[in-house]
Amino acid sequence: MAVATTAVAAHPERDWEKIKRAGLWLFFASESVVFGLLLAARFFIEGTHVDAHLDQALGLGITSILLASSLSAFTAESAIAHGNRKLFYWGLIITILLGTVFAFGVAYEWQIAEFTQHESFGTIFFTMTGVHAAHVISGVIMLVMLLAQALRGRFGPDDHWPVAGVVMYWHFVDVVWVFYYPALYLINFD
Amino acid sequence: MLKTWTQVFWVIGIALAVVTGVEYIIAIEIANEPNLTLLSIIAVAKAVLIIYFFMHIYRLWREEGH
Repeated sequence: MAVATTAVAAHPERDWEKIKRAGLWLFFASESVVFGLLLAARFFIEGTHVDAHLDQALGLGITSILLASSLSAFTAESAIAHGNRKLFYWGLIITILLGTVFAFGVAYEWQIAEFTQHESFGTIFFTMTGVHAAHVISGVIMLVMLLAQALRGRFGPDDHWPVAGVVMYWHFVDVVWVFYYPALYLINFD
Repeated sequence: MLKTWTQVFWVIGIALAVVTGVEYIIAIEIANEPNLTLLSIIAVAKAVLIIYFFMHIYRLWREEGH
């Protein structure tokens, strides 16, 4: 404890934020292995086959929603960094709403899917979208926690690392979908 | 390049929208043919935009005080 206190005192706050940022990127690297293995499994098991019954309009719709949520998350982070609390709140609220709509969109896709988990494409589709949706839901929960803290007056231009960290996580989840969307919907489009 | 966050918002937002539209059109136009390479290039381009401009990966190796 004494060593940790001494270490913190010896380095400016900026150093610690850089270390936290590096730690978060290491977490993203480890998560990328999981998502990458699922992507590799998709091509190993099914090649480039895509089920003809996938709802392409829904796929494009939820993809657009998730990309839009990255813009609102970026807005929230930028707004608090510049001291604009009102825009920060709205950025968080819109991101939470868009993330929730995305999760419901995936749930709806599961409901209308004309393939089952017993077929190889179904196994791949439900596993990849399920693992990704779990990350979206955890991101929404973290955003709600941020909003609750923000409404109690926390965060400001000089104290917004938790916002930056959660928003980076949200962007990471978006990046994963950037690869999953073409792999699941667009390759060999019917 | 992009100096303010609002510039980043609009330029990268429009770029992502356009590239996603192009990706969808390519998938329709090249239906039933192998389009893995083209779609992979587009996905990497979109990921680079998000990782650089939204996730600020350059801050990992930026000198302190900048």
